[in-house]
Amino acid sequence: MILLILIYIAILLLSVPGLIKRKEWRELTFFSVLYIIAFVLGLLYVLDIPVPSPMKALQYIIADVLGIKYPQQ
Amino acid sequence: MTKKINIKINILTSKLVLCLLMLFMLSGCSGGREINDLEIVIGMGVDKDEDTGNILLTAQVVKEGEMEKSSGSGGGGGDGKAFWNVTGTGESVFESVRQITHKTGNRLFVSHNHVIIFGKDLASEGLQKYIDFFLRAHEMRPTAIILIAEGRALDVMNAKPETEKLPAMNIAKLVKTYGFTSHFYKVNMKDFASCLMCDSRSPIAPLVGVSKDGDNKDIYMSGMAVFKNDKMVGRLNEDETRGLLWVLGKVKSGVLLISFPNKQGKAAFEILEAKSKVIPEIKDGKIVMHVKIKAESSLSEQTTAEDLATIEAFEKMQKAQAEVIRQEIMAAFDKSRELNADVFGFGEMIRKKHSNKWKSLKDKWDEIYQTIELNTDIEVKIQKTDLLKKPASPKKEEK
Amino acid sequence: MRIEKGNICNMQLLFLITGFVQSSISLIDFTVVITEHQTWMVILAGLVIATPFILSYVALAKRFPGMNLIQINDAVYGRFLGKVISVYYIFFLMMTLSFNILDVGELYATFLMPDTPFIYLLIFFTATCAYAVTKGLEVLARVSHLFVVVGIIVPVSTFLLLIDQMDFSNFLPFFELPLIRVFHGIHIMLSIPFGETIVFLMIMGSVNKTEGMVKNTLTGLLIGTSSLLIAAVRNTAVLGNTEAIWTSPSFQSTRLIDIGTVLTRMDFLIGIAQTVLIFFKCSLFFYALAVAVSQLFGLKSYLPLVLPLAGIEVIIAATVFQSPVDHAAITQDAGIIYSVPLMFVIPPLSLLIAKICGLPKPERGKGV
Repeated sequence: MILLILIYIAILLLSVPGLIKRKEWRELTFFSVLYIIAFVLGLLYVLDIPVPSPMKALQYIIADVLGIKYPQQ
Repeated sequence: MTKKINIKINILTSKLVLCLLMLFMLSGCSGGREINDLEIVIGMGVDKDEDTGNILLTAQVVKEGEMEKSSGSGGGGGDGKAFWNVTGTGESVFESVRQITHKTGNRLFVSHNHVIIFGKDLASEGLQKYIDFFLRAHEMRPTAIILIAEGRALDVMNAKPETEKLPAMNIAKLVKTYGFTSHFYKVNMKDFASCLMCDSRSPIAPLVGVSKDGDNKDIYMSGMAVFKNDKMVGRLNEDETRGLLWVLGKVKSGVLLISFPNKQGKAAFEILEAKSKVIPEIKDGKIVMHVKIKAESSLSEQTTAEDLATIEAFEKMQKAQAEVIRQEIMAAFDKSRELNADVFGFGEMIRKKHSNKWKSLKDKWDEIYQTIELNTDIEVKIQKTDLLKKPASPKKEEK
Repeated sequence: MRIEKGNICNMQLLFLITGFVQSSISLIDFTVVITEHQTWMVILAGLVIATPFILSYVALAKRFPGMNLIQINDAVYGRFLGKVISVYYIFFLMMTLSFNILDVGELYATFLMPDTPFIYLLIFFTATCAYAVTKGLEVLARVSHLFVVVGIIVPVSTFLLLIDQMDFSNFLPFFELPLIRVFHGIHIMLSIPFGETIVFLMIMGSVNKTEGMVKNTLTGLLIGTSSLLIAAVRNTAVLGNTEAIWTSPSFQSTRLIDIGTVLTRMDFLIGIAQTVLIFFKCSLFFYALAVAVSQLFGLKSYLPLVLPLAGIEVIIAATVFQSPVDHAAITQDAGIIYSVPLMFVIPPLSLLIAKICGLPKPERGKGV
C-alpha cells in the first residue's frame, strides 16, 4: 500500500515539473487522465478488489456468443 | 554559471550513488537461501510404511563436516558417516518431504539429487502415483537415475560403500558405468516418464540389491525390472538385459564367453563396439522384426592351449560369438513375451514407420506382441588379440 | 507530424525484426501442447503464410513514408473511422503488452525466483521497459544487436550440447496429428510471432531510407525464424513424447545437459535468453503503445505518457488472468481470434484502398 503511494508520488515528481515548465497543457491533461486511471487500478489491486478483466469478457463474447472456438484436446 | 555546473555534478553523483545502492540492495531475490541452511539431498528412496500404509520417504543428506575427513581415517575415529538418512512419512510424496522438516529444521534442497530408489513393494503396486512429484518439483532434475530396490529402498541407502563416502553417489556411479558389462542400463527420470507415456512400450529400471558379507553390506546391481504400464511384473537377468541392449544398440562393452566343443576350453572376448538396426516389416498381417547387429570384439583370454590366431579359428569363434549374442537376444525376447511387455519398443518403431497400419494394431498390441517373429542377422568381427599372438603353453610334439 | 524525432537506418530494422521474432522463443513451449512433434512444420508454415501479409505492412509503410500506423489509419479511413480503428489497435497493443509482461512474470515465478511476490517481478520488469522507452527508438535499435546475438547463441549452443541425447526418430510419423490441431498451431504461429510485427508499422515510419526495407524485413524474418526452429527441433529431438507434459520444454531439455559433470545446470542460459528477448519485445510494444496513444491524442511527444501507461500495464498484467492455466487456455482461443482482423484484414485493406484512391494525397498542411 505504502509502496503504491510512494511509486505514484515518484511518477508525479518525475513527470509533472517538466511538463509545467514547458507549458505543455495538453500533455498535462492527458497525463493526468492516464495517471488517475493507473492510480485507481493500483488502488483496486492493493485493496484486493477484483479488477474486471477484459480478456474474460472477450473470451465470453467470442466463444459463447459467437461460437468461434477450437475444439478442446 | 558555476552554480549550474555544481548542480549538474550533484545530480550526477546522486545518480551514481543511487545506482550503487541499487546494486547492493536489489541483487538477489527474496527466495535466496544460504548454503549453511540447506540440507543437500543426494538420493531419495520411497517405500511403503508397513504400519500405516503410507509412504516412507528416505532422503540422504550430506553432512558438511564429515566430508572433510579423508576416507583413510574414516574407519578410525568413530563412525564417520558423511551422510544422514532422514525419513518422513505421509500420504503423498510431497507431504513426506515436508514432514522431514520435522526432523531437519531446514527445507530439503533436492537440486543435487542423483538417484531415486523405489522399494519393490511399491514397484509391484504401481509407480504412477509416486512419480509425479519427482517430475513436477521445481528443483528436481530429469537427469536423476531411477532404480528399484530388491527389498526396501531404506536398506539400500543405508549400505555404506567402501571406496565412496556417500551411498547415493556410489549407486549413481555404479549405474553410470553400466558400459563395463552392459548387464544393466541407466534409466533417468525423463526416459522412464517417456516410456510410461507410451501405450505400447514397457518401462524398465535397474534393480539394486544389498548383500550381507559378514558385517559389511555391499550393494550390487542385479538386472533390470520390467514394468507393464507402471506395475513391476518381472525382471530381466543379466544375460537377458544384455540381449535387450543388443537390440537397442546400447551395448558399450562387456565379456562374450564362448566355449569350444570337446571340452577343449573357453575363450573370452571383450566387446569393443556394437551397432544395431531394427527394421519392422508387416508381411501379410504378420509382423517380422529384422534385427541386424554388427559387433567388434577383441580376444582377451583363452583357457585352451591351442593357437587360436588363425583364420579358420577366427571364423569359428566369430560364428560362436554371434550364436552367443543371438541366444542372449532370444532369451530377452522370450522373457518379454512371457511377461507380455514390449521392452524393445517394437510398437513405437511400427508407429513411426508404418503409422497408418499402427492405428489398427495398437489396441490389440498385447496379443499381437506374442506373434511377432524376430529375425536376427548378427555379424561379429574380431579386431585384435591384445598383447599375445600365441598362448603361453608348452610346445606339443609334432605327430 | 512526426512524434519520434529519431532516425533508424535500414540495417537496424533487420535487427529489430530478428530480435522481435526470436523473442517468441517462449511461445514454442506453449504451442507444443497442441502440435507436439510437428511444431517445426507449424513454424515453417506460419512463416510462409505470414510473409505476404508482412510484405503488405512494408508496402504500406513505403507508401506513407514517415507516417506511423495511427496517421495511416486517419489518412485511409477518414477522421472518424480511422480513429475507431486506431483505438482497436491500441487496445490490442495494451493487451498484448500485458500478456508479455505476464509471461516474464510467470517465467520467473515458476523457474527462477519462485518465492518472490509476483507483483514485484512485474513492477521491476515494467519499470525497466519504461526506462528503455524513454530513451527513444534510436537507443532501442542500437541495443537490438546485442539481443539478437543472445537469441542466436543460446539456441545454437544448447542444440550442439544436446546432440548426443537427440533421437531424430521422434519426428516420425510426420503427419500423425489431426489437421485441426495443425491448423490451430499455425494460427497461433501466425498471430503471435509473425502477426505481431504489425507494431513495426509504428516504427517503420522512422526509417530514414525506404529502399532496402523489403530485403531487410525478409532477412530479419528468416534469421528470427531459424532461431525458433532450432529451439523447436532441439526440444522435440531430446524430449520425445514427454515434450507435451512439461511446463517449459526448453528448460527441461537444457537441464539434461550433463557433459563431464562440469557442464550441468545450463538452464540459466534459457532463462537469460528468454528474459532478454521478451524485454526487447516488451520495449518495442511499449514504445509503439506510447507513440500510438500520444498520436491519437495529438500530443507533441510521447514521453509524459510512458509512466502512467506502465502503471496501467502492470495492473492489467497482474489481474487479467488468474493463473498460467487460464492464460494458456484463453490465449489459445479468444486471444488469437480477436487479433485476426487487425493483422490480416485491415492492413491489406488499407493498402487496397490507398491504391484505389491514390493516397497519400499531396500534403495539404497536414503536418507541422
